[in-house]
Amino acid sequence: MKREVAAEIVDSLKEAGVDFVATLTEANLHDLVMALGEDTAIHHVPVTREEEGIGICAGAYLGGKKPAMVMMNAGFLLSANALATVCMHPGIPVLMLIGHSGGVGEENAGHATVGALTEPVLQAMHIVYEKVGRFEDIRPTIRDSQMLARSSRRPTAIVLNKQALR
Amino acid sequence: MKRYDCLRAIAPRFGDELVVTNLGAVRHEWQALRPHPGNYHLQNLGLTSSMALGLALALPHRKVVAFDGDGSLLLNLGSLATMANQHPANLIHIVFDNECYESSRGAPTATAGQADLAAVARGCGFTHVVTAKTLAEFEEGFQRASKGNDLYFILAKVEAGAGDVPAAALDSQENKYRFVRYIEQSENLKILTSTLSRASDPHAK
Repeated sequence: MKREVAAEIVDSLKEAGVDFVATLTEANLHDLVMALGEDTAIHHVPVTREEEGIGICAGAYLGGKKPAMVMMNAGFLLSANALATVCMHPGIPVLMLIGHSGGVGEENAGHATVGALTEPVLQAMHIVYEKVGRFEDIRPTIRDSQMLARSSRRPTAIVLNKQALR
Repeated sequence: MKRYDCLRAIAPRFGDELVVTNLGAVRHEWQALRPHPGNYHLQNLGLTSSMALGLALALPHRKVVAFDGDGSLLLNLGSLATMANQHPANLIHIVFDNECYESSRGAPTATAGQADLAAVARGCGFTHVVTAKTLAEFEEGFQRASKGNDLYFILAKVEAGAGDVPAAALDSQENKYRFVRYIEQSENLKILTSTLSRASDPHAK
């Protein structure tokens, strides 16, 4: 991810009111994770496993924060039970920014299966999501996905494809 | 020492502390002993410590107490590393270690074997770690933690067995709304969004 893309995401999160972010990094998310760590307006919690981050975000929401979770799609798949039991069952929102490895343009064969499963699992879980690849779509999509998460009290997701991550 | 005895011993000391309980009998026991809108009963095995961490970071001036279990924490050992690194000074992480999956008919957990969760907490960077094997040790550990302005880990080695209490009447949605409304009111925060009906808004276009 280019530095200016990371900066646009951080600024868009702040504009959407997000003040608390849990992250689990990956090569494609590195610049975003580092930028979040440097930003003083957002409380950044690097986690050891993605479902842990879902729990932390849910707790932060109950305490009045506006949380988001940054992770790769492998971590989203890992978080399915946490999302169902901690967020969807009681009605707790969390905005998820999900890096989409294994999608179109993927050169690493090892990511293909996780890539192919990501959208079907989002759909099976009835999580509203938007796919983002173009720079100019970042800001409005973050704003609108956060709006829906808050109003519906449900998790929402933004799937960042290879173009966005490069 | 049983979990219910521990909870009964400390319940009178609670004021406006926020509590996150693990899945299983502990929620019913605690709700019977201290019915309060600041109790959040998590319907998930594993994330009690993480929910409590998020809450403690969001409200650093409020004391947060997690009633976790060995089976739950074993699912989420990494949360100890995250908690120690974030180091909220308002969080008490209590683990009732009965060395079994009590709610799932009692098969042994890893702590019935070689695992020591207090040693894991120390290794993750917790500086205040207590292992309580008697009620007196537990009460003393809790008293020190509730007076201290730091992150505490208390491992209570308990016998299996639930207290003789009625089932808590709260369901997850009701519990969330009551908890959130309580936080909104006690912290003067707006958490749940609401919109005016266009019909009732004279300025709507």
